[in-house]
Amino acid sequence: MSMRLNDLTVTHAGTVLVDVAGLDFEPGVPVTIVGESGSGKSLLAHAIMGTLPANLLARGGLSVDGRSYDLADRGNRRHLWGPVMALLPQEPGLALDPTMRTREQVAEGAATFATDKRSARRAAGTLLASLGLGHAAAAFPHTLSGGMAQRVAFAAATIGGAPVLIADEPSKGLDRQSRTELAELLKRHLGGGGILLTITHDLDLARELGGNVLVMKDAHILEHGPAGRVLAEPAHPYTRRLLAAEPARWRHSWTRAEPPAEAPGGPLIAGKGLGKAFAGQQLFADLSVAIGAGERVSLSGASGSGKTTLGNVLLRLLPPDTGHVDHVPALRGGRLQKLYQDPAAAFASRVPLRDSFGDVLRRHGVTTGRLDELMASLRLAPALLHRRPGQVSGGELQRLAIIRSMLLDPALVFADEPTSRLDLITQEETISCLMDQVDRNGAALLLVTHDVALADAVTHRRIPLGLEQGAAAGVTTSS
Amino acid sequence: MNFLPPTPRAPAGPALRVMRQRAIQAATVVLLVSTACFAIIQSLPGDIAFRIAAGRYGYDQVTAASADTVRAELGLDRPAWQQLLAWLGDLLTLDLGTSLVTGASVAGELGLYLSSSLQLAAAALAMALVAGATAGVLAASRPGGVLDRLTTLWVSGARSLPPFLLGLVLILVFSVHLGVLPAAGHGTAGNIVLPAVTLAVGLSGLFARVTRDTVAQIRQSDYVRFAATKGLGGGLVFLRHVLRNTGVTLLPYVGVQLLVLIEGVVVVESLFAWPGLGHALVHAIFWRDLPMIQATALALALLVVALNTVVDLGTLALDPRPRRRELVL
Repeated sequence: MSMRLNDLTVTHAGTVLVDVAGLDFEPGVPVTIVGESGSGKSLLAHAIMGTLPANLLARGGLSVDGRSYDLADRGNRRHLWGPVMALLPQEPGLALDPTMRTREQVAEGAATFATDKRSARRAAGTLLASLGLGHAAAAFPHTLSGGMAQRVAFAAATIGGAPVLIADEPSKGLDRQSRTELAELLKRHLGGGGILLTITHDLDLARELGGNVLVMKDAHILEHGPAGRVLAEPAHPYTRRLLAAEPARWRHSWTRAEPPAEAPGGPLIAGKGLGKAFAGQQLFADLSVAIGAGERVSLSGASGSGKTTLGNVLLRLLPPDTGHVDHVPALRGGRLQKLYQDPAAAFASRVPLRDSFGDVLRRHGVTTGRLDELMASLRLAPALLHRRPGQVSGGELQRLAIIRSMLLDPALVFADEPTSRLDLITQEETISCLMDQVDRNGAALLLVTHDVALADAVTHRRIPLGLEQGAAAGVTTSS
Repeated sequence: MNFLPPTPRAPAGPALRVMRQRAIQAATVVLLVSTACFAIIQSLPGDIAFRIAAGRYGYDQVTAASADTVRAELGLDRPAWQQLLAWLGDLLTLDLGTSLVTGASVAGELGLYLSSSLQLAAAALAMALVAGATAGVLAASRPGGVLDRLTTLWVSGARSLPPFLLGLVLILVFSVHLGVLPAAGHGTAGNIVLPAVTLAVGLSGLFARVTRDTVAQIRQSDYVRFAATKGLGGGLVFLRHVLRNTGVTLLPYVGVQLLVLIEGVVVVESLFAWPGLGHALVHAIFWRDLPMIQATALALALLVVALNTVVDLGTLALDPRPRRRELVL
């Protein structure tokens, strides 16, 4: 088994999006491409697979086991899908059919499915069991956690026996535990003599996989080499910049800051004896949380551990099953703000941003000058306001969401996984903007994240939930 | 967004909930429709007793004396609220009463009307679904293609033709000029064609449009693209993933449009003299046949509830995702 990519270019209306001279793939040696959003790394993967959007033009060649394929023809590799090439999709939760049980979705990828459905189903059952999902064979996708969905997708992609596996941002939205499990799966594929191409902005995943790492920016590969060298002693300045953007290495005035002296007047939010069960599962019980003025607190834990739910209970957006939450009067009148994980869902999609912001200014009597000032200090061009939410990037939109919350001079900001969908550099930029504002206003911060390094860099103290919390705190989870 | 923790699915739970909600709705509908019908009839101009007497004995025979006889016999001189309570009481014991005009049992006649109305509605719905869904799927295979544009033309054309006008046009063309199909009546297989087609034309355009948009959207979904890279051929992807997920969207839409179908039945039955509920209702109103009006209106209303229940249960069977879930933002 061998695969080589020759002289690939991907263009859109004359703009070059990917330009790569050549790339060799060997069995058992993982190739990982890292870089920020828009660097062209995902397009490279889809150009190899033949799944580029129709408005993009690919040129170049791919040779698989001595046979050459012209990449301009997107249909000529279709017969390779399944038996030779497989794609592990990003967002496995969306890549699984919501109306079909998992075993069927895996079984249909088997080569024998068209002729002998029963043996395909048996093979699917065996594969799922070997991935620790034997109990979920008859489950529907909406009942799976992100990590479980990713393992089902892995089973479905690889049951056809394809030696070439392309993984496109496979760890997006996964917590640390699920990411480690994912890396094990990918290594298992390599162990069987497979070829692996992984596209990711998650440097930890790249480290865990090892092999060769390529750093991509603005359509070009800037640096490549063994993972141990590139990710430890980078030669290119951009790679150094990328590495410095990992939360564990952040150096800002607000990183790992000292907690403020206890403010007079008691905590802003005091929750006592809080308990909440969700779908028959106890998320937390008899939990007491107090957040003081100017304090920065993070809630961390795996997916499904109830960290977002606890945050919403503390904000009084959800009622707790037991206990109660008190807010000081200073939080009234919009001085309690929430940042959402997906900013696109937090703006009216068909309304220009200028109008959405105009409503906030009018409703709360804020001057336009304040908006202009915030736009400038978060380095956003005023012209962005004329666009709709879908027409600005995810990082820019999250910064606009920060501005929207800061317009009301909040006493407390609740940030729910605000950067889990952003790449490292954009994450640092976004968190910097948030923390500068939090610092300037003396606001308290409640951060929900599954990234412990991020939590430690940004907040004074961390409240662990779920398995991390363990039995010591008297909390039971069954995830 | 939060990932839901794995939960065992209670198999009968959602279906039972649907049945319970719809049963409550049916009871409410019975009460409201009965009362509204009653109030509307009471407020109609003219003396009810005179109209009923005319229905029984013919216009020439109606005198003040015969009207008084009718009034005394049927208790029409009681206060309105007493008459309403009497009707509701009878309804509780499932007694629909007898026709004021023919003296026959309303329940017996209603059965006949209901079955012929159901025949007509089912034929129309089947035609509309087959034609609409097929056209929609074909149009979605090439968005912007010839077939897609023809479908758009069909939708706007079909929607701009009200059923009574379309029915007249069909009668003129197929019965009067070509003479291939009977214009009115009931009993032979050919009778159902024109009224069913009249109802189906309007519906099929809507179904085509919704099917086309849904299929086009599902073809772009992550799970359809993933299915393709798993190695499934186009046919298998369509059968296993596109079809069922299209049903999830299309079925509730069909449920909403059933209301249009039931409305259409009233008009089209009168036009084609099809002896169904709609036809019966119009006649009963004309003769002020109070029990008959109440019963047919109720039957039509309950038919809507029943069909919606079927749609709800079908949607539950197609889509396993929970309908109600606690808000997690």
